[in-house]
Amino acid sequence: MIERFKDLIKHRELLWNMTFKELRVKYKRSVLGFVWSFMNPIVMLAVFSIVFAILVSRGSLSWFSVYLMSGLLPWLFFVNSTTQAVVSIVGNPGLVKKVYFPREVLPMAAVFANMIHFFLQMLVFFAFLLIIRWHFSPYLVFFPVVLLLETLFILGIALFVSAANVYLRDVQHFVDVALMAWFWITPVVYPINLVIGRFRSFLPLYLANPMANVVLAWQFIIYNPHKYGPEAAYVSFWGLLGTSLVAVAVFLLGYYFFHRTERGFAEQI
Amino acid sequence: MPYAVEIKNVSKMYKLYHENVKSLKEKILFFGRRGFEEFWALEDVNIDVEQGETLGIIGANGSGKTTLLKCVTKILYPTRGKIITRGSIAALLELGAGFQPDLTGRENVYLNASILGFSKKEVDRKFDEIVSFAELERFIDNHVRNYSSGMYIRLGFAVAINVDPDILIIDEVLAVGDEAFQRKCIERIEQIQRQGKTIIFVTHNVDLTREICDRVIMLDNGKVVREGAPRDVVNFYHKAMESVSSSGERGNRQVVIKSVDLLNEKGEPSREFQTGQSMRVRVSYEAEVPVADPVFGFSIEDYRGFTAYGTNTRLKGLKLGTIEGPGAIEFRLSSLPMLEGKYFVSAAIHSRDESVIYHWLDKHVSFDMHSGVDDIGLLYIPCEIAVLDGSN
Repeated sequence: MIERFKDLIKHRELLWNMTFKELRVKYKRSVLGFVWSFMNPIVMLAVFSIVFAILVSRGSLSWFSVYLMSGLLPWLFFVNSTTQAVVSIVGNPGLVKKVYFPREVLPMAAVFANMIHFFLQMLVFFAFLLIIRWHFSPYLVFFPVVLLLETLFILGIALFVSAANVYLRDVQHFVDVALMAWFWITPVVYPINLVIGRFRSFLPLYLANPMANVVLAWQFIIYNPHKYGPEAAYVSFWGLLGTSLVAVAVFLLGYYFFHRTERGFAEQI
Repeated sequence: MPYAVEIKNVSKMYKLYHENVKSLKEKILFFGRRGFEEFWALEDVNIDVEQGETLGIIGANGSGKTTLLKCVTKILYPTRGKIITRGSIAALLELGAGFQPDLTGRENVYLNASILGFSKKEVDRKFDEIVSFAELERFIDNHVRNYSSGMYIRLGFAVAINVDPDILIIDEVLAVGDEAFQRKCIERIEQIQRQGKTIIFVTHNVDLTREICDRVIMLDNGKVVREGAPRDVVNFYHKAMESVSSSGERGNRQVVIKSVDLLNEKGEPSREFQTGQSMRVRVSYEAEVPVADPVFGFSIEDYRGFTAYGTNTRLKGLKLGTIEGPGAIEFRLSSLPMLEGKYFVSAAIHSRDESVIYHWLDKHVSFDMHSGVDDIGLLYIPCEIAVLDGSN
């Protein structure tokens, strides 16, 4: 394992280059290019604001679109990273079969490219918040910590599914289905107080989902629930601690699994 | 000095599954029943490559050359045995592997070099050299998708060969590109040799290995069957290849070639000749019936089927009249110019206009040429070197 990390560090420039390649290639041949990264959150914000202002009677959350965005963008970071990582090895036979390099670069580059993407979208989102004179929560200083936590968890999942998919192509289809189900057990579109109110006894089980804790943490630091809706203010100390441990464990196990299986990659794809 | 590459008892087994079962349903359905055959692409291969050495690996298709290189470069892992490498490796298993069509030539140079494990700083330093080697100065900022296949290959080769690895591994990639570029690549390889770098070189162009390798290894069915000086191994390779090539016989057999003998200077039958020696090709025949005005001919071909020399009695202005019963014709070659290699002799008897073939033996006998010189090429041309000073 230590050897692997050393080799990866030796190839850090490759990781960097591959990450940028992902970003560059994504918008090559499009006129607006990187602008599309900003368009996505802008349109989402506009649509949510209009829809929820007109159609939904003002509920308990005064700024539902902001609440939604603060959980949805981190969730999309998770979904996009995972769906791109799962095909990152099988989608690059030309490289895997012909050149040696630490193979984990491929899924990791997919994750980091999406992280940069997520960062850009967050910039747009924060610009919007500044315009509407949002009262930021002091907990916003934990932004890097939450980002690290989520990225670690995503990297572990990405390494695991990308390697497993080489041996069993069902994994990529399974991931699509699983992510859809996962979305609804994570408090992105509904506030956590709905869960607390109706399924109090299931709360510990609900919080066993690491992404629930991650999304709750994002909402907590961005949405500033103390000012805009205390019902969305929920962070569980034990949930977060557990999630941190799970993220580290998932990362290490994912890496280990990847390392154990990568020797067969060139033969299997 | 430690070896640059040590290949120790390496075997590689591929499982050839009877069906390509890749989905969960099938895996469960066929669980435990999936038959596969073992295919050993490499069996107990032992090779030590010294630092600064240029090692050639030759062998027929499917002999395990590429598998071996892929094991050395850690793309594949041996089933048994182990491989130790010392120093950075750049492998040219496929030129331009990982080129992104939607990036420019410049971006691809950096990306490709980092795939090979080289830093931006190193590439910065070498960038101009890479571009000028690839002869792509005008196109380096164009998208690679617009490159011709030749440009693509030149850029791939230029990157790999200019990044300064300790060990350079080349698999059959010199066969691509036009002759001028090939020549340039070989010059560059020779330059790398002079820098004391280690090179492992796989090719079908076996004569090229004679030109640039210190040592050659021949693989056959995953085993090392011959190892040693290039000349020796290449000759062995030719012999092995020829035993597969077929010889043919045709004709109405009114005249039969009883035997074709190759005689040396002393008049003894021989299969080994030195460059510059004489040879007599004796064609013994027997005519079953009287045959008027036959033509006797012979030719010498090399392993590729190129005719080195051939003649017949008609071309020489000879009329034999009517022949009957046994007899012999001798073609006397006063000096054989061929260098090292294996050659075949064909003999034929036919009518003057070649409308009737009495007996034709294709590649009937073979002989080996040996030369005491290290010169390369097909023929020995006596050559002296004079050094002239500038005033002349």
